[in-house]
Amino acid sequence: MIFFEFAKRSIRLHWLRSLLAVLGIVIGVMAISSMGILGNSLVLSVGEALSDVGDTVVVYPHAGGFGNGPPVQTDTVITGRQVQQIERAVGVNDVIPLHVSADRIEVGGEMGVVQVYGMDTADIPLLLEVTQGVYLRGASGALVGQMLAETYDLGVGSRITVGDQSLRVAGILTERGVGFDINPDRAVIVSDQWYRSVYGEADYDQVIVKVRNLEEIEEVKHDIDAALNRRETEVDIFDTRMILETILETFSTISTFTTAIGGISLVVAGVSIFNVQMMSVTERTREVGIIRSIGTRRREVMKMFLYEAFLLGFIGSAIGGILSFGGGYLALLVMLQDTTFLFAPSSLVYIPYGMLFGIGTSLISGVYPAWKAANLNPIEALRYE
Amino acid sequence: MSTDQPIIRLDHVSKIYPLPFGDVTALDDVSLDVEPGAFIAVMGPSGSGKSTLLNVIGCLDVPTKGDLFITGRNIGELSDDELTDLRRDTLGFIFQQFNLIPLLTVRENVEYPLVLKTRRRESEGLVEALTRRVGLEEELLPHKPSELSGGQQQRVAIARALVNDPEILLCDEPTGNLDTKTGTLIMELLTEVNGQGKTIIMVTHDPRIAEYAHRTINLVDGKIV
Repeated sequence: MIFFEFAKRSIRLHWLRSLLAVLGIVIGVMAISSMGILGNSLVLSVGEALSDVGDTVVVYPHAGGFGNGPPVQTDTVITGRQVQQIERAVGVNDVIPLHVSADRIEVGGEMGVVQVYGMDTADIPLLLEVTQGVYLRGASGALVGQMLAETYDLGVGSRITVGDQSLRVAGILTERGVGFDINPDRAVIVSDQWYRSVYGEADYDQVIVKVRNLEEIEEVKHDIDAALNRRETEVDIFDTRMILETILETFSTISTFTTAIGGISLVVAGVSIFNVQMMSVTERTREVGIIRSIGTRRREVMKMFLYEAFLLGFIGSAIGGILSFGGGYLALLVMLQDTTFLFAPSSLVYIPYGMLFGIGTSLISGVYPAWKAANLNPIEALRYE
Repeated sequence: MSTDQPIIRLDHVSKIYPLPFGDVTALDDVSLDVEPGAFIAVMGPSGSGKSTLLNVIGCLDVPTKGDLFITGRNIGELSDDELTDLRRDTLGFIFQQFNLIPLLTVRENVEYPLVLKTRRRESEGLVEALTRRVGLEEELLPHKPSELSGGQQQRVAIARALVNDPEILLCDEPTGNLDTKTGTLIMELLTEVNGQGKTIIMVTHDPRIAEYAHRTINLVDGKIV
């Protein structure tokens, strides 16, 4: 293909100018791919951190509030009667009523404030996992979250004081990450008997329903709503999967935005290619006049210059694509301190995606110069000095 | 085509360039018949319209008025692609500045019009045969035009002009950039090519060069005198 040969030789002849144009594409492709990988990894890591609560329906006492998030809690509660109604409404699914409050904690003279969850000891294994020690068996004792244990250097058998009450740590919980139902990592979990005896509250602050079949989540929500909110709104019902999806969607938007920022550098690279191609057309005006006069068609001239733009884009995109592994790795290391998701297919797809954009940008940038060359008047082009 | 039909016919051809300070008439009602195998020299002072005449016959420019027929085809009725194909297949160009393609080697320059025509890069010995025919050493084929002397470059240009076996050769001051000895050799080559049946239209301002032609046309102010 002689026109391809023309393009190759022109690039070789003007290697420095071509190198700079290629460098622009390399940076553009790297920016798009790395930002894409970063954004996608962000979505994946958030998704992973939150996905284990996707099968949960959370019921709060109705307290007004705004938007779709959990309501601002006041002194309203969920009564035992309402819990029974929920149990009837959800059938075989597990219902876990919870007491929630915050209290002072003291460990060996070190003091702080901690979230306290009170629940039926039989329900604890349904919601939480113990990594050291044992689940609560009786009214006394407490389970502590992993991060709380690390903060206060707690182990199985350690003694903590919550409020004025001394408790022995029976077990340390497995780290769970941020959840929409409860956040036990920095909390103390006690039996509901202990909680009631200490805080004097019989009613509950929230109810968690673990839905066995994920496809029934909507139905479960509907049944609870029908049972409790028929006459007036007594409870607010949230589906954690819905919240999870909203959050992931938000992160996806952020990911798209960061990728688009990377795209700006590719636009700059496109301008560089345009500039190089315009220079090439100007310098080779006489050559265009020669080849037109001896029988080269307009579209063949156009093809010759488009090949040149394509080659610059292809070389830049190929190098940029390879370097994107490094760019993506660095971006993840700096921004997320976690490179686990670099090789996830949904992350890697940003590399060919960036390369396609690189080649596309080069071709688009080369269209006008190529068109200009193809439409030069052969006589005037031959006279060009 | 039949021998009694002119290979080139200009029928009351005018070429007018509209310029901001007024129209310039480069060719003024020129009529000319060129028989196949003719060797015509076009002479005239600067600005007389010699190059315009060559450009119009070479289908690089179109007449403002009148008709031009090349091998019986009215070029005013042809599309840009058809005109380009006519230049590629029927016309061969030889320029004063040689106008070789600097990015290509001698071989590639010679075979370029053939590649355009056949879409293939194998010339099956044609390039070598043409190289010998125009008196070039085959060792020069891999070289770039910039590595050749003026005479050698013009020989390459002649080989390129002949590669598609065109019926007409258009030469614009073919010896203008050459010394007398080399110019003579090039003219002997063109005479030989003409002897093999090619029609040649040659623009020159040198009467000694014009002597190689069978017929000389003088242009003054765009008119044949």
